[in-house]
Amino acid sequence: MEPDNLVLQPRDVHFDWTALPMHWVPEEPVTTHVMNVLHLLLPAGERWFVRTFRQAVPLITDDDLREDVLGFIGQEATHAEAHGGVLDHLLAKGLDPRPFTDRVEWVFDRVLGDRPGLTAGQQREQLVERIAIVAAVEHFTAYLGDWMLNATAFDRAGADPTMLDLLRWHAAEEVEHRSVAFDLMRHLDRRYTRRARAMLLSAPPLLHLWVQGARFLMAADPDAGRLALRDFRRAGRRGLLPTGYDLTRAFLRYFHRGYHPKQEGSTSQAVAYLATSPAARDAH
Amino acid sequence: MDRFLRGLARFTDGYLKVLPLLGKAVPDRPNAPLVLEVARRTRVAPDVVALRLVGDGPLPAWQPGCHLDLHLPSGLRRQYSLCGDPADRDGYRIAVRRVGAGSAEVHDLPTGTRITVRGPRNAFPFVAGGPVLFVAGGIGITAILPMVQASRRDGLDWRLVYVGRARAMPFLDELPDDRVEVRTGRSADLLRDAHPEGAVYCCGPPSMLDAVRRDFASARLHFERFSPPPVVDGRPFSLELRRSGVVLPVPADRSALDVLKDLRPDVPYSCRQGFCGTCEVGGVRVCVQRPTGDRLVLEDL
Ligand SMILES: [Fe+2]
Ligand SMILES: [Fe+2]
Repeated sequence: MEPDNLVLQPRDVHFDWTALPMHWVPEEPVTTHVMNVLHLLLPAGERWFVRTFRQAVPLITDDDLREDVLGFIGQEATHAEAHGGVLDHLLAKGLDPRPFTDRVEWVFDRVLGDRPGLTAGQQREQLVERIAIVAAVEHFTAYLGDWMLNATAFDRAGADPTMLDLLRWHAAEEVEHRSVAFDLMRHLDRRYTRRARAMLLSAPPLLHLWVQGARFLMAADPDAGRLALRDFRRAGRRGLLPTGYDLTRAFLRYFHRGYHPKQEGSTSQAVAYLATSPAARDAH
Repeated sequence: MDRFLRGLARFTDGYLKVLPLLGKAVPDRPNAPLVLEVARRTRVAPDVVALRLVGDGPLPAWQPGCHLDLHLPSGLRRQYSLCGDPADRDGYRIAVRRVGAGSAEVHDLPTGTRITVRGPRNAFPFVAGGPVLFVAGGIGITAILPMVQASRRDGLDWRLVYVGRARAMPFLDELPDDRVEVRTGRSADLLRDAHPEGAVYCCGPPSMLDAVRRDFASARLHFERFSPPPVVDGRPFSLELRRSGVVLPVPADRSALDVLKDLRPDVPYSCRQGFCGTCEVGGVRVCVQRPTGDRLVLEDL
């Protein structure tokens, strides 16, 4: 029996990065850095989620949804914090992420942030559009979360256990709260066009930032070499990265009329992981 | 900034202007509140009453670990675990021990009373597949009971340690004799029967949770986590909202957030423990912050 209607609660997790090797998937600089892009994008991105959803709270007329949104905000705020900790570690190790994270901040501020000079109507439309963009991105985080919880290749490859715990704790909470942004969007605007448009607008910049972020990290790491499509494919075959085929299929699923985030991933699996996650357990 | 991102910014500038022309948002129809009727009251222990609540049709589905939020006629709100059979969609069962004003009111609800509820919501999801040990303390059995029944049905390897103050504990008649250990009085070594690879589901008073948390090493521990930690050693103070010119009294056992929420139901908050920062107002985390003096000032509210 799959549990439903979870009460979402952020967890006060802490990670110690002092022993983290630069290539935390041994001998896999490409996998390491493609995954590291998460740390570049998420602190700025998830803080923007939080700002967006805080503005949305007064628009919610459903008590259960409001409770879900508040739980979502707390979880995303702790995610941003936890990934930010990895950035501090990279900086201390001599890899300065700021040239790229400044760019990411600029996107969430200049392109997606609050704008001066909009009328009240335009402002409200912009807020609903931003929520729809969060819902589209949350489709990917749910897909990736489910993928990460099942990516046993990392354990076989001897990946750093603390990093795996960070990624899987985050993955599990993404699966836990995967319906919230979608439900909030539908609460404020149930038109299919809003959903589909926001996905079409979100996917290309997300892909662009990911590729640029991976290039940036590879260039900044003297032991990493150059990013080649071939390495990405090979990591996909080993199960260390999602394949382009699977990502495309996940992208297309969002356009099905009957789509709901509940269809992605398993709440039971997420809850079971959180019960064994060292960081989540210490947070009790 | 690369060309793509610059182009994106320019595109967005124009896009936001035409956005209102792409049609107006169509909000979803609001959900009607769930109103249930007290269909039956049964005394299941000297101080525990079970209520059967029915609706006008089939009720929303639920799973073990779910609770219901009761909006009592006096205005009090109380949460109670669903302790019936999830397959029974015609009625919910809750069981309430008489301990304070809210539970006394529930005890005295006559059959036929209609009350608004919210839920079911799950703060204690049950996902065991392997061996599982249940630890229930007192009325905590209500959350555990549906998990026990699900485990029996699925043929799991399960055990229950059920701790109560007196022999007259609720629902003993619904539990099989084997696999259940009933203990009265104080209890040590609750996890003696835990399987090293198994899961532990615990619901009971805080002292019991603390004991289990101390003891558990390799088990997967699950417990209910919807209530914020109680305010301990608090002193009363006043909360000043500078911009609105309002001063509110905060009693010793409540937080500034609790009081603020009564006034402004829209205030954002989340963890209620001070770490997530959602409730921050001008650098003050109102869910935990208490002043060193007798006044906490929020400039921005
Ligand atoms: Fe997140
Ligand atoms: Fe998320």
